[in-house]
Amino acid sequence: MEAGHIRRFCEAIGDPNPRWRQEAPPTFLVALGTETPEIPEVLEYGKGWLNGGDRFEYLEPVRAGDVITSRTVLKDVYEKQGSSGSLLFLVFDTEYTNQHGRPAARIRGTRIRR
Amino acid sequence: MSEELPELVKHPTTRQLVQYAGASGDFYEIHYDQEFARGTGLPGVILHGLLKTAWLAQLVTDWCGPEARLKTLDVTYRGLDFPGRPYRCRGSVKSRGNGTAELEIWGEDPDGSRTTIGTAMVEGLR
Repeated sequence: MEAGHIRRFCEAIGDPNPRWRQEAPPTFLVALGTETPEIPEVLEYGKGWLNGGDRFEYLEPVRAGDVITSRTVLKDVYEKQGSSGSLLFLVFDTEYTNQHGRPAARIRGTRIRR
Repeated sequence: MSEELPELVKHPTTRQLVQYAGASGDFYEIHYDQEFARGTGLPGVILHGLLKTAWLAQLVTDWCGPEARLKTLDVTYRGLDFPGRPYRCRGSVKSRGNGTAELEIWGEDPDGSRTTIGTAMVEGLR
């Protein structure tokens, strides 16, 4: 977790809260890596991605200098009929573990192929 | 009457979407390349869902103060939002007690449609 990266992220979202000079702002963890792996069979479905939703669970604060390890699993895949055709939903669960070996946060992201 | 959070109004630009793409690492072209976005059937470039979530998180952390901690933040994206159009982040307190609060949060486009809806749990409130 780099202080400069956190600062650039705060500038990008436009959140000047001094709290985020050390602590990472709530959605920063998504910036640590791509959470949507490239799955060829999925990319053949539809023309593009949409974001369906995100659920963040916070267990411990994450600060500049921490070493975070993330692990993502594809939890669920299902199809739905939308108003303009069929949609493919992919649910990814990511757990973020800190340098003490303790889970710091979990994110469930729902991504849609349309 | 339930307590409402002071609203947060954002004025996103395409420049900010590029800035967010760089800071977040989400370089999907529908957020800055008009032709690419239209090629996927969109009317033009759209805001990152997670940028809207960052603003809803800011709405909550501005309200709860530096001592309180966000425990959960759960959002569903229901509509598209575009640069050049103001985005209003709003919220209300659903329940509160023992230093914790459960909030309803949402983002509205200029037509008043709630294009992002969600909830947040906060603890350590004074």
